[in-house]
Amino acid sequence: MSARWPERPATPTARALSQTYKGVLKVSLLLVATYVVAQALSGFLPAAGYRDLLGLSNRTAVWIVAELHLMFAAFVLGVPIFALITEVVGVATKDRRYDDLAREFTKLLAMAYTLTAVLGCTLLVLFVVLYPKFTAYMHGLFKPTWALYLTLIFAEVIFAYLYWYTWDHLQGARKRWHIALGVMVNLWGTALLFIADAWVTFMMSPAGIDEAGNLTSLWAAVANLTWMPINIHRLLANVAFGGAIAAAYAAFRFLAARDDAERARFDWMGYVGSFIAIGAFIPLPFAGYWLGREIYQFSEQMGVSMMGGGFSWLWILQAMLIGSLFFAANVYLWLGMGRIPGAERYTKFQVPMMLILTLGFLVWATPRSIIATGSEMVAMGGSHHPFLGLFGVMAAKNTAVNVMILTTFFSFMLYRRGNRVAVVPWAAAGKAVQALAIAAAAVVVVGYGVYSYYVPSIVRIGYSVYQVTAVLAAMVVFVAIDIPLLKGAREIGPIAWGRIPARAQYALVFLAVTFTWLMGLMGYIRSGIRQHWHVYGRVADESANAYTMTHGDATLIVSGIVVAFFLLVAAVFFMAMREERKA
Amino acid sequence: MLARTFLKIFIFVLVVVGIYAYVGQLVPQFEEHPPKTRTITAETDRDELSDIGQELLRGKGGCLICHKDSETGNTRGPDLRQSAATAASRKPGLDAEAYLLESLREPGAFLVPGYPNMMPSALKPPANLTPAEIKAVVAYLQVLGGAESTAVVTVEDVEQSKRVAKGDHRGRTLMDQHGCTACHKVEDEGGEIAPDLTGAGARFEPDAILRKLNDPAAWTTPNFEEGLMPSFAEAPPGDLHEIVAYLSGLAGKSYNPTGAASPWSHEGVRLGLVIFIANGLMLVALAWARRRERREAAQ
Ligand code: HEC
Ligand code: HEC
Repeated sequence: MSARWPERPATPTARALSQTYKGVLKVSLLLVATYVVAQALSGFLPAAGYRDLLGLSNRTAVWIVAELHLMFAAFVLGVPIFALITEVVGVATKDRRYDDLAREFTKLLAMAYTLTAVLGCTLLVLFVVLYPKFTAYMHGLFKPTWALYLTLIFAEVIFAYLYWYTWDHLQGARKRWHIALGVMVNLWGTALLFIADAWVTFMMSPAGIDEAGNLTSLWAAVANLTWMPINIHRLLANVAFGGAIAAAYAAFRFLAARDDAERARFDWMGYVGSFIAIGAFIPLPFAGYWLGREIYQFSEQMGVSMMGGGFSWLWILQAMLIGSLFFAANVYLWLGMGRIPGAERYTKFQVPMMLILTLGFLVWATPRSIIATGSEMVAMGGSHHPFLGLFGVMAAKNTAVNVMILTTFFSFMLYRRGNRVAVVPWAAAGKAVQALAIAAAAVVVVGYGVYSYYVPSIVRIGYSVYQVTAVLAAMVVFVAIDIPLLKGAREIGPIAWGRIPARAQYALVFLAVTFTWLMGLMGYIRSGIRQHWHVYGRVADESANAYTMTHGDATLIVSGIVVAFFLLVAAVFFMAMREERKA
Repeated sequence: MLARTFLKIFIFVLVVVGIYAYVGQLVPQFEEHPPKTRTITAETDRDELSDIGQELLRGKGGCLICHKDSETGNTRGPDLRQSAATAASRKPGLDAEAYLLESLREPGAFLVPGYPNMMPSALKPPANLTPAEIKAVVAYLQVLGGAESTAVVTVEDVEQSKRVAKGDHRGRTLMDQHGCTACHKVEDEGGEIAPDLTGAGARFEPDAILRKLNDPAAWTTPNFEEGLMPSFAEAPPGDLHEIVAYLSGLAGKSYNPTGAASPWSHEGVRLGLVIFIANGLMLVALAWARRRERREAAQ
């Protein structure tokens, strides 16, 4: 029925509406199918508290599908934020390329929504079939939020489709309506995320139920201790993730480009994608600390088993991944300076920055208390290494990560002024103040880092706030001076977009893969620290698979998920490209 | 060109992921299993009690996350070997057993100098030890300190532990909510006008109880008034399953409710409503756009 409409000479509004209706119809059919399948299966299968999926453990099956669903959800929530930012920048700078970039990625949304929805529905069926009893319990508690969630899904789909299908029509004077649509997409998307987070965080830090597990306050259950930190953490991570995937896509198109114009276009796109990814990535560690603090607040024991118990080794992997991210980001920037005439003025900073990053990385990867064997402890003379143990504590790690963030920020700023020479009369003074700001932040960070060894831990925790504030303040001061400083600056030469080695593109792909793997790993830690509980301390997991598996097995599953995700994303990109050819 | 580039990048992705997976194999590998439960009775002898205590302290209690009871281990809390040895003289007026009991039940009541108040009560989650289990741990700690254990598990401890371990079954709570206990007695609580349901699980199969709830006319218990029991066909099926699970459990039968709702239950209706409204809104919007379109074409 709906297929007939677009063939007629329709007005843009009617066309956009009928395309949107197709999306709504698709979601409706999918939901009905899910409901029927779930009902049929649970009616047909014999009653049980737990079931396995054809030999595959219930836990692994749900884990894989849930993580894939989450990654796609992160993508479809991240891309609209990313698109809206670039669209607004395009309007503000009157640079057409930004609008094209935003459009390019919004195009992927329809396909990505479908995949997200299919994965989500599969997950729902798995919950009902593999964990019937626990699913019924959760469903009973959160009933009203389910109806809201469903409604929001429709709102999100409607606005996202309208956002895409009105892109060409709502230009020029009508642009603000289009931007309003973009804001709506993101509002609904964020609300969806917050609701799903309520279910997840309730399982980590339950609230609002009495001793017997009966609901006493739905709002308390939703607004539990870890809810807001996870909301913020995921929101930031989604933007970074969207940017990283966009950059990887650009890298792929760059490497497959046929002419210089295409190369220039995708080189620039990769740069913007990575810029947004890193920009959102920098505050992530702070959100992470907040989440960690709330976990300790909720249950000291959960916190300790996360940071110092069985899961502590996974934080070493996390440190390795984050260190790699910082490295790759800096390497990409430095390689990118090759296409900026005048940037050779700053190459002298690269080796020292590399050294600082390496040092920071080493400190961050130094474990404090992990489960060591008896002979290892004898060799170290205690459960902590006499010298290296000093770098294992959080104070040293805070210092290291702040220094690494500061360094990466500095790289970015050098990149920004690559081909420009400030001409304002106060240029020298301005630069001196900027250098001073960076130096002051570094002194504050390192100074408090060292001093914190001499004070009790209660005082020490407060110091990390000073360190973060110093870094943020330095960034603000630097940028506040930079904008007027480079106003009307003399250009040494235009940036030669497209003239960047292939290695830099692989750095972008590396960034995306590492980020995805990191997300998979952190997702496992977040969920895994509940150990043998469905709802920590309240509802025990009584299935045969309630044990915590070895780190080796867990990382293999994470790796499998990441590869599967990239194959699915590639499929989405290919289909979008095929439509581009057809058009 | 596209396919070749894709292949190259895909191999690169595999290599990076492979390296990460490989590093994952290099870290120590161990599995953590949920704690096993061993039953403690008033007859459990002293040696076995402290054995069970050791197992609880190292397993279910999660104490070693902060303490150590041997040469190696964590030092967030005091070394338990020393604690046990000095327990008798820690707090005036409390002997070793009483002090240890207090430090497990209410860790905040007395703080060992130099340590923060971070230990959760062993009665509370996540340790969730029962009163009897706490006695067992104390017995083990006393042995650890080189003394004879004095902790004795009483019949009251065991009774209390049973109640704690069981908690209030959700089915029991639901029976209050749906008003069953207004008429029926169960486990010595409830009304008199209907049969005592404590033994219902033994008399009937779960399916039969479900049938009775959905259709009270299915049969009538002799000597009781017919037609008094209301139908619960409209109640959420998940609740009924939970009640049946509780009643069957009283008879030692295990019945796992699936919680599956019938297609016509609230969820189905809600889903249908949301879909209906969303589709309706879109159709109205479309009709409006097409009418405008036609009007513009006519002008
Ligand atoms: C989250 C960390 C943590 C956990 C888990 C923990 N404790 Fe403690 N425990 C402490 C700290 C810190 C102290 C010292 C402060 C105090 O007295 O409360 C302490 C004190 C004690 C004391 C008194 C020690 C003394 O020297 O007087 C005993 C006994 C004890 N814990 C036993 C246990 C047992 C048994 C468990 C497991 C059920 C356990 N703890 C779990 C942190 C912990
Ligand atoms: C208004 C009073 C009333 C309420 C409320 C009520 N019942 Fe009954 N129920 C009766 C009476 C009277 C009988 C005996 C007559 C009969 O079989 O209908 C009975 C019989 C039964 C029987 C059969 C017992 C046997 O030994 O044969 C079961 C099982 C039962 N009820 C379960 C329940 C459950 C579960 C609930 C709550 C969901 C409930 N009833 C609520 C009055 C009530």
